[in-house]
Amino acid sequence: MKVVVIGHGMVGSRFVDDLVGRDPHAEVTVLGKERHEPYNRVLLSSVVSGRTEPGSLALPSAPTARVRVLRGVSAASIDRDAREVVDSAGEHHPYERLVLATGSQARVPGIQGVANDRGLLPGVSVLKDLDDAHRILAGIPQARRAVVLGAGVLGLEVATGLASQGLAVTLVHHHGRLMERQLGEAAAQVTTGSLRKLGVTVITETSVAHALDRRGALSAVRLTDGTEMLTDMLVMCAGTIPDTALARAAGLPCERGVVVGADLASPADARVFAIGDCAQPPEGGTGLVAQGWEQATRLVDSWASTGTSGADAPPEERDADGLDPTNVVRVKAAGLDVVTMGLSGKFEHGERELRAVRMSDPAIGRFVEVVVSHGLLVGATVVGDKQAASELSAMYTRMLPVPADPAHLIIRPLAGAARPAATAVADMGDDHTVCQCNSVSKGRIVAAVGDGCASVDDVAKATRAGTGCGDCRSVVAALIAVSASENPGSPSHDDEMSAPALAGA
Amino acid sequence: MSAPAESASPGATAPGDAVATHCPYCALQCAQTLTRTPDGRLPVEVDGREFPTNRGGLCQKGWTSAEVLRAADRVTTPLIRTTDGGFREAEWAEALDLVADRLTTLQEAHGRETVAVFGGGGLTNEKAYALGKFTRTVLRTPYIDYNGRFCMSSAAAASNRAFGMDRGLGFPLADLGGADAVLILGSNMGVTMPPFVQHLAGARERGGLVVVDPRETVTARLASDGQGIHLAPVPGTDMVVLLAITHVVLAEGLADVDYLEERTHGFDAVRRSVASWWPERAETVCGIPADELRRTARLLAAASPSKGGRGAYVLTGRGVEQMTQGTACVTAAINLSLVLGLVGREGSGFGPVTGQGNGQGGREHGQKSDQLPGYRSISDPAARAHVAGVWGVAPESLPGPGVPAVRLLASLGREGGPRALLVHGSNVVVSAPNADAVRESLSRLDLLVVCDMVPSETALLADVILPVTQWAEEDGTMTNLEGRVLRRRKAVDAPGSARSELWILGELARRLGVSEGFPDDPRAVFAELARASAGGVADYSGIDYDRLDAGEQIQWPCPSADHPGTPRVFLEGFPTPDGRARMTAVDHHAPDDDVRADAPTYLVTGRVLQHYQSGAQTRRVPELSAAQPEPFVEVHPLLAERIGLTEGEDAVLTTARGTATVSVRLTESVRPDTVFMAFHWAGAGSANRLTNDATDPISGMPEFKVTAVAIAPARVPVEVTAP
Repeated sequence: MKVVVIGHGMVGSRFVDDLVGRDPHAEVTVLGKERHEPYNRVLLSSVVSGRTEPGSLALPSAPTARVRVLRGVSAASIDRDAREVVDSAGEHHPYERLVLATGSQARVPGIQGVANDRGLLPGVSVLKDLDDAHRILAGIPQARRAVVLGAGVLGLEVATGLASQGLAVTLVHHHGRLMERQLGEAAAQVTTGSLRKLGVTVITETSVAHALDRRGALSAVRLTDGTEMLTDMLVMCAGTIPDTALARAAGLPCERGVVVGADLASPADARVFAIGDCAQPPEGGTGLVAQGWEQATRLVDSWASTGTSGADAPPEERDADGLDPTNVVRVKAAGLDVVTMGLSGKFEHGERELRAVRMSDPAIGRFVEVVVSHGLLVGATVVGDKQAASELSAMYTRMLPVPADPAHLIIRPLAGAARPAATAVADMGDDHTVCQCNSVSKGRIVAAVGDGCASVDDVAKATRAGTGCGDCRSVVAALIAVSASENPGSPSHDDEMSAPALAGA
Repeated sequence: MSAPAESASPGATAPGDAVATHCPYCALQCAQTLTRTPDGRLPVEVDGREFPTNRGGLCQKGWTSAEVLRAADRVTTPLIRTTDGGFREAEWAEALDLVADRLTTLQEAHGRETVAVFGGGGLTNEKAYALGKFTRTVLRTPYIDYNGRFCMSSAAAASNRAFGMDRGLGFPLADLGGADAVLILGSNMGVTMPPFVQHLAGARERGGLVVVDPRETVTARLASDGQGIHLAPVPGTDMVVLLAITHVVLAEGLADVDYLEERTHGFDAVRRSVASWWPERAETVCGIPADELRRTARLLAAASPSKGGRGAYVLTGRGVEQMTQGTACVTAAINLSLVLGLVGREGSGFGPVTGQGNGQGGREHGQKSDQLPGYRSISDPAARAHVAGVWGVAPESLPGPGVPAVRLLASLGREGGPRALLVHGSNVVVSAPNADAVRESLSRLDLLVVCDMVPSETALLADVILPVTQWAEEDGTMTNLEGRVLRRRKAVDAPGSARSELWILGELARRLGVSEGFPDDPRAVFAELARASAGGVADYSGIDYDRLDAGEQIQWPCPSADHPGTPRVFLEGFPTPDGRARMTAVDHHAPDDDVRADAPTYLVTGRVLQHYQSGAQTRRVPELSAAQPEPFVEVHPLLAERIGLTEGEDAVLTTARGTATVSVRLTESVRPDTVFMAFHWAGAGSANRLTNDATDPISGMPEFKVTAVAIAPARVPVEVTAP
């Protein structure tokens, strides 16, 4: 089967890798417009923050004879009647199935002076590909101030990353609260406070109107409210736009993205599929790589199992509650823990019986809200609580039942509950097991001491306590000491507790 | 305490004599002194003995091990099933004649492959070797496998693929003490082999003990109070922890680049494969905070030699190996070890912690379906020629590879499958996964012969039970978790007419027409084993009883009489064609039987301190049985509250394979999405009636360690559909 994949990003490369692994007859041509090998785009903000080496971003690329990867080559047009793709070099690529994984483009908002006919003004950048990341990194040593436009997930990651590199960062956001799609008022406020502690100033309900240059490079920005601020760097994180140009030109139905059914095929052409950021499935695109990878896996699975063209519909569990296990949004920023999943922020209750339980603790930068429906976690917002964030997301993605009282999800982490402090020997009951390895109780040890055992080794000989892992030998020594102080006449050799040899040696 | 001579005579000792031997149970093989007590209730008194591994320590199992010698229901004479379903005592001649006749008849009617053999990782090297030889040269069937398939097969497959050799720990256990960090994945040695814990003291002092376990086990608690880190992933996601840690090591530039360049190949594919496992993504899968994963990676890297640390070790146990992705998971652990430059360097390393007493030796001498002695492949013509030469048979007469344990057990009595099974040192109806199905498989057999010292649950299903010697009643060798060859020494005679398997195999061979080659003297068997292993991966050819009895500490390979053995392997290179370690990219997949609406809880299985394996020995020791009398399920209070369970009440657990009824123990040491059962018991509360027999595609290891389960109070039964 001849397959052409347009796009060699995170989703396209995963799809190709999975496909050739599963289908020994698949012959794949991949057109990738970037000259790089496929890489982990999700980590670009970590590269900017200096936390991830660019060299560690490369993703698997199927090195088999059945895959032809054309790097630095984009698709120019799709001829659906001839079933072929023409690339930017003029080469024709016939296909039996065509998969669009063209991803999305960074949205460049209408800012005066931000670009000229040579492209973006030096100092101004988006963060969509590796070249962007390198450009930003290269500018950091000369920069003192930065403005980040757009307080979505990427904006927060870039802002904290630049702040951690020592820049004074202002995060400018058009909406009244940051991450407004994911966060409600209280969570956004807590997050704003956390950002301030990390050196990021948040300005909301405004935007950048002008980029001002000096000697051909960015020197300041003017906001829509007229405020001017000096800056050496402007990073625009104003969202993405699905890349649909090819599909539109080929007459495929497109709205925000390339329209596909639950089977990921275009309703207009059963041979054409779209996955990842460029696709608009019935449940809507989230822009998260987890959704794109899930689509890639599902499409490969359905091709392999049925031989028919379309993918199975997404799992049934995405029921009336809108539970989508891939819909976990996680800000990747050192010192800032913001995670949302499913229903979060301001959501409509609709017909559902929802329980929303929240804890707001702004003084220490903590906010947790869980949303429960029919015994399942259908949404959560977590700011500033790593343990709750990880436990809740593991629970959400598996659709596991919640405790009888959902408040338990908030007031205590699900795992690693605190242990009682070690019991003082005086407080131990006689049946308290001191030596786990040999099931020896305090009572037996005390009795052995009463019978004349004066050292840890004596006790070990008499009771076997301390002869397994040896961890209880200090407790045994303490018991001997307590007995000695209660019976001053009896001998004590608790200095022997440090002797390395165990009983029977 | 008198100091026992290492060179004790091989026979039973005189009253009062002390015999130096090793514990009958786990792979730590703690050194023991047995003192004969002719007037005592028990025939010997047990004491710990100074040795590099246990340093004199024993756990409760070891201290009480002499009880099994005089188990009240010890089998002391051959038993033959009667028509009314019971057993009658028989003379050896009658029992052996019966077995030989039935085997002959079945093989004449259905071919040689109608007989299968199931061995055990508790058998001495000599017995394991003789059993493999008997299978291949007398029965001439390919069908032999053993319970080590349930134990070490994933670790073995991954080590062999990466290093060209699997010696368990490729270094002396005591080396752990000098490291800055020890990463333990899926092993609870604080409970399963307590004296091991002494070797973790150094890492704990330096805050470097990292334990990955879904439960807060005794071992996990060793990392508390600043002594290290406990990571409690969602069951079945340990691999994600490893991939994410490796990701961080690479992303933050903490890898040992020179080592990777000089001593490995395949790194590029591994680097790319972990690029997809950034900590925040891993967090949503494994439930461990991204920053904890980063902290762990940095701790391990700081301990690694290339970053100036005192060294780091990565150890795996059954928790990560008994998975359908077990081989891949161990491979991920190996990849991390290689990225940090730990393997084949003094003071650092990787190793699986072997479980069964002779789990290491048991996988080297030919009771594995695809292997010949010396860890040789039965498919390799040169290996076949060498071993056939030692055995005095034609290479082409040796059968080819059989099938791994789960497939073997499932095929019993089915069309084309074996109709007769000989079981040695294994209690499969308790220890194999999907135990109800195993019981059914055994019931389809025409002939089941079980060699055991006690009437185990499997023995009770047999047509013939043959009583065998154990531990203090026999001589032989065991190979411990660090590849050290140890002498097991006889202190007392076995009761009644129990005999060694070596004798039984010789008698059966004679009745089946092979009169040579099966001596009952373990020293002679070992000498032949050593010759058969010569030139193989596990080369014992330089080892003999005299060297061991003279007190030499020998870790294989030991290719000649003047070779000192190899305490640390891979220092000079890896036994691969190009001398480099092979890195293989692996990825995570969910458990075969994953949680779903009608089975929304994970079941994980494991052990308790007082019992060993199927409990056939330890359940017969009053002190151990009193401490852990019955099966149980550990349940988190939040889960208990949701489903209405209280402490001590009976719960019914149901999986796609079976049900079990056990009493509830409430504990916060288990995750609220997970319940835990120990698998040592038979009957209504037997954990392995629930476990999944889906297997790893490479190792054949079943997925004991994670399955979806429904749990409810015993009064409210539930139905669970197949996944």
